[in-house]
Amino acid sequence: MKQVYICHDTVTGIFSALYDAWKEARDKEAGIELKGRIQQRLFCEYKVVTETEHKAQVLQQMIKRNMGWNTYWDVYRAVLSDDDGKGEAVFRMMQEARTVRDSTKIMDHLGSPDVAKVFELSRRVSNEAHIYKEFIRFRELENGVLFSEISPKNQVLTCIAEHFEDRFPLENWMIYDKTHETFLIHRKKERCRLVCGETLNKEAVSRISEKEKRYEELWKGFFGAISIKERENPKLQQNRLPKRYRREMTEFSEKQLY
Amino acid sequence: MSERVPKRMSLYEKLQILTDAAKYDVACTSSGVDRKGDGNGMGNCSKYGICHSFSADGRCISLLKILFTNECIYDCKYCINRSSNDVPRASFTPDEICELTMEFYRRNYIEGLFLSSGILKSPDHTMELIYAALYRLRHVHHFQGYIHVKAIPGADERLIRLTGFLADRMSVNIELPTADGLRLLAPHKSRKNILKPMRLVQEKTKENRQEAAVYKNAPRFVPAGQSTQMIIGATPETDYQILNVAEALYKKFDLKRVFYSAFVPVNRDSALPALREEGPPLLREHRLYQADWLLRYYHFEAEELLDETNPNFNVFLDPKCCWALKHLECFPVEVNRADYRMLLRVPGIGYRSASRIVKARRMGSLRFEDLKKMGVVLKRAVYFLTCNGKMMYPVRVEEDYITRNLLNTRERIPEGADGMTYRQLTLFDDMNLEAVKSAGIEVLNRSSEVIL
Repeated sequence: MKQVYICHDTVTGIFSALYDAWKEARDKEAGIELKGRIQQRLFCEYKVVTETEHKAQVLQQMIKRNMGWNTYWDVYRAVLSDDDGKGEAVFRMMQEARTVRDSTKIMDHLGSPDVAKVFELSRRVSNEAHIYKEFIRFRELENGVLFSEISPKNQVLTCIAEHFEDRFPLENWMIYDKTHETFLIHRKKERCRLVCGETLNKEAVSRISEKEKRYEELWKGFFGAISIKERENPKLQQNRLPKRYRREMTEFSEKQLY
Repeated sequence: MSERVPKRMSLYEKLQILTDAAKYDVACTSSGVDRKGDGNGMGNCSKYGICHSFSADGRCISLLKILFTNECIYDCKYCINRSSNDVPRASFTPDEICELTMEFYRRNYIEGLFLSSGILKSPDHTMELIYAALYRLRHVHHFQGYIHVKAIPGADERLIRLTGFLADRMSVNIELPTADGLRLLAPHKSRKNILKPMRLVQEKTKENRQEAAVYKNAPRFVPAGQSTQMIIGATPETDYQILNVAEALYKKFDLKRVFYSAFVPVNRDSALPALREEGPPLLREHRLYQADWLLRYYHFEAEELLDETNPNFNVFLDPKCCWALKHLECFPVEVNRADYRMLLRVPGIGYRSASRIVKARRMGSLRFEDLKKMGVVLKRAVYFLTCNGKMMYPVRVEEDYITRNLLNTRERIPEGADGMTYRQLTLFDDMNLEAVKSAGIEVLNRSSEVIL
């Protein structure tokens, strides 16, 4: 009977499930499914995981100790992806790591399909995080807060937090992830915080500061003027900047966004 | 001096004019330096650079690319801002530049500033203004993002040196590949004058590297190195000459990048080539960039790619494929044993996948399926590789055969470069062979003979 662990789609949840699976079934087959996205299968025993910070911590330590920090970050990013099979891929990759001589080099072992999957998921998330480092646009609200809305496929907020924290240490800013309804909030001179379970006050974020409009116009003017007419090439532009990101970008909004 | 700008211009108008005037400069990279913010200002830099948008021509927008002024005293024939042109003129003040940079940066529109300039009054005066703007940006606004600035040829050495301590990257445009071209099209500039500041920046950077080794907190001089650009297609140089110039610049001046800019005719002048119907030579520019990467990352030499008898790149095949076809004696290469440098020379294997291969084969021997996962472009690489002594499928290692197959695989060229569409060759295609012959493409002739 295959044991399937059910958990929430959060880092703590999946890490707890991995912890349980590793404890009980490291030599056997085991599955990890996400709550609300389960595909019922025959010959499986389903079990809901009790999720605790402690389990997540222990698992994190174990991965770091045995498989190295770099592997841990790959696992972490893979867990943030929007793929339903991510937990299972990580679990099987951990099993694979026991069979190689130097477990810290497991991520080089791309010949194994599970390692390749974790590698691919991790790359997908870090690519999207990088894209949002590029394409996020802030607008200044009345109270001086810089605000941005994004709709990423993966949960990239924690991957971009450090970058913006380092970049704007003296600003109050906030990034709202519409897909996963989470906020990344940064107060002047403090560390960022990830906030879940709040709702966005639409009215408050539509009140922009006086100067905001002026800079938006200047930016749009710049954006138009920088292109060379003789080289115009919308296809190339679309390849590099797909339309789905443009909805939230200042230079592509015909009218005011809000 | 009489005022040339009678009415006060708004910041918006100025930005329009001076962006429009700056857009022909290609360098827009924000790479080469990794710097954390110190917590008391705004900004940081990332080693690999960050693009923030893409304009309608598909080029990346990373930096706020503007001229300080387009009131230029020089009369370079190819330049839109030459003194004999009747175009609206404007100049920023240092404060306006700071305002734009800071406010754009805060909103994550840009990665930093790219400041170039026409020559206002004299090179020294212009350099002074640029220095003033950068000084305010760094020390009043505590801006720690990326700054790319032009060193003005002919400006005082001390000014260039001082500015270099505020900038991340400096560049002097070599403008045209040869000194003759420069004499013809830019009568006020000379090769000597351009190379002088370049040498200065190189020497100062070297010196600074030693200072930084001894004193950890020594101020850094142009940490992201220097770059340059040249215009392609305004003068009759061959690709071979251009590539040799680039190679010399990399080797002798320690440049980080050489940029190539397909000539866009903005002025009419008897010294310039006539307007071409098909637009700027974008495919040629693309081939030069491909070759440039081969020089910088793939350990190729200019001499290997082109020579006197064969001085231009093939329109139909990229430089790496061309090289491989001429050196079939080196192939096929065994993936599980070949050294890194040889792997780099295989078409379809990039430097990233090459290093992945080298790492992964330590864990066990690789198969063709594994290569695909590592990012190897198999449709190009199959002709040149064996895995455990076997090719993926029977392949004749023969120039004609491989050429024909490579021509059939669609190359990923930036959309619309040279307006050519790549499609499968069929029996009934009108290949426009006359044009091909006149371009001197023997490879295609040979391969199409086989087909026809």
